[in-house]
Amino acid sequence: MLRVVGLKLVRLVPVLFLVSLATFFLIDLIPGDPAAVALGTDATIEDLEAIRKSLGLDKPITERYGDWLGGALTGDLGDSLRPPNEPVSDLLQRSAGPTLRLSAMALGMSFTISIFLGVWSAHAAGNRADRLVSGTMFTFISVPTFLAGLLFIFFFVFRQSVPRYLWVIAVGLIVLRLLYLAVSRLWEDRRDFSGWSGYAVATLVVAGLLLWVFVQWPDFPRTASHRYDDNWREQLRSLFLPALALALSEIAVFTRLLRADMLSTLQEQFVLSSRAKGMPTWRILFRDALRPSSFSLITIAGITLGRLIGGTVIIESIFGLEGLGKLIVAFGVLPKNYTVVQGGVLVLAVGYVLLNAIIDISYQYLDPRIRRGRV
Amino acid sequence: MSEAAFGTIAQGEPEIRGRISEPRPIWQAPLLPIGIVLIYMGTMLFNDVTAEIRVLLVLAGITGGYLGLDAICQRRWGSGFDTSAWLSGVWLIMIGLGAITVQWLPLPESKLVKNSFGEGLRLRPDLFSRHPLGTNSQELDLLGGVMWGARTSLIISLGAVAIGLIIGGVIGIAAGYFRGTFDSGVGILADSMLAFPPLILLVAMATVFEQNQWTMALELSLLGIPTYIRLSRANTLTFAQREFVLAAKAMGSDNRRVIFRELMPNVALPLLSYAFLVTAVLIVAEASLSFLGVGIQPPEPTWGNMIEAGQENYQDHPHLVFVPGIVMFMTVFALNRVGDKARERWDPREAQI
Repeated sequence: MLRVVGLKLVRLVPVLFLVSLATFFLIDLIPGDPAAVALGTDATIEDLEAIRKSLGLDKPITERYGDWLGGALTGDLGDSLRPPNEPVSDLLQRSAGPTLRLSAMALGMSFTISIFLGVWSAHAAGNRADRLVSGTMFTFISVPTFLAGLLFIFFFVFRQSVPRYLWVIAVGLIVLRLLYLAVSRLWEDRRDFSGWSGYAVATLVVAGLLLWVFVQWPDFPRTASHRYDDNWREQLRSLFLPALALALSEIAVFTRLLRADMLSTLQEQFVLSSRAKGMPTWRILFRDALRPSSFSLITIAGITLGRLIGGTVIIESIFGLEGLGKLIVAFGVLPKNYTVVQGGVLVLAVGYVLLNAIIDISYQYLDPRIRRGRV
Repeated sequence: MSEAAFGTIAQGEPEIRGRISEPRPIWQAPLLPIGIVLIYMGTMLFNDVTAEIRVLLVLAGITGGYLGLDAICQRRWGSGFDTSAWLSGVWLIMIGLGAITVQWLPLPESKLVKNSFGEGLRLRPDLFSRHPLGTNSQELDLLGGVMWGARTSLIISLGAVAIGLIIGGVIGIAAGYFRGTFDSGVGILADSMLAFPPLILLVAMATVFEQNQWTMALELSLLGIPTYIRLSRANTLTFAQREFVLAAKAMGSDNRRVIFRELMPNVALPLLSYAFLVTAVLIVAEASLSFLGVGIQPPEPTWGNMIEAGQENYQDHPHLVFVPGIVMFMTVFALNRVGDKARERWDPREAQI
């Protein structure tokens, strides 16, 4: 056990080394002088020399790499080349907050939605409902994130009434269906109270939800700014659209995964015995079958979090959110502020590698089946 | 955007027993023309009607049209006919043909502003006019733009897939066949390539290299190579144990012959079947770069930079974003759909033995 964990940690070292090497030499692939590119045309010779000195461009390359790596290991990633010349680590720290919040919210949303959809479509496997969910998920996975962001802005901000009425129609259809089921059961046998009361309650609950959301329809802002940092309600509202855009393809991935795992769990004996004991369906699905099926979902959730943090660039720039991706692209790449690019890419890549390693190792503890050696 | 995305499309699903669906009843066939008319009314005819009704018309039209087409196709080719997959294939062929023939088609100017003067500013899509999909803020034709964009997207993503397939495939086969130190070295290399957040890596590389079709294909292939290394390694592992490899070795074949004559033909098909899914991911990546302004630059139209240019005033002129957006969505959807089918058919790890 310890040996396997140790092996994985040892394997991490060369990966991290290669990552740092690639990040560092990115700056050397730039045609021309990084200092000149960073300063622009109206720089004096003294400015240039100062920048070159601070970047260490006058030293041999191996020494520079050593200096940089030493600095990076102690948390010093150099200063931004653009005014105000703050330390890169400060910049990264400041913009990590919005990115983390956004990714966490997207992950939470995809979990809640996909657990319901996945369980439901596994339960109704092969049905019309299942095929509808599968088709929708296939659509979700094919919508590029930036397109999703623009669509949400268009429909939720510019043409608010469209999703509002679509909501009424879609949920209204569900209410009518439930009502029909309740009434038809009641018609069949008026004495069998258990046959229709559940549907009647469900109808009332869903209809209430329909009305409540319709009345309370929120006014989403076009940009998700920091103004509301202390007000969590406002913050939720301003982060809702970007998080939903990010979550869209994750919902699809999670739902398909959970549905597949759930289908094989539902074939197991203990589900049959639970059913034979007369347990209600929701209890079998959510209490008995969900837990053993959610294993690979939890694994992929960790990977997804890492991926979301690195993948929010576009959403951040569409919604004007001052996060990590926006920092790297708008303040690093476009004005050719190389120290910011280097620092940002390094932090994201190392974070991603470490997160994956942690998941990989915790996997060893959680699932006894894979403890033995390499697959 | 990443491996996980198409890795999960690739998840096999347990067979659902006992339900053989009936073919859709033929009386639904007239829904096809009705649906087409509804879509036409919603998108182009009823420009003055409120957005809610137009969206409803389009949604109803899509649903009805698909049901009608499904009914006709199932009547003709049996209930096992997968209409959406065939529709996807047809769409891909259309996009491919459009990308090849666009230079010979008599389309209005869609690249250079100096030639488009007087065409009309931000014209709405109108099927029976000079600009079937409308014009943009520089009076350039959107149909032509979308077709040139298809060509750029396809050249870049197919080029990247080809590079990734060849390099990643060969390295993966060698790693899976030789195992040992070489295998672990390759594994570490692939791990470090996958460690960078893909979009950030591409954006960072965009600062370093001048962006044209060929450099972008090279950059994007860096996303494909590690994925293909893993795929071909995994496939090689299953084949390297088989009897025919043993037989070849027993008859005195050297490593090169075993790799190129025995393993490669077997591994090539599953790898090719993943090409659709990888192409879909790379098309999105290319469009994302153009959208951020670090990919192919205007006046060369791409789907990404058309959407980027359109978002400025799409509140009042939604077609500026919707036209390239829908074309891109349909292409990615079609690639995913066809890729899913291809993988089911040709990846031996999916086959039930």
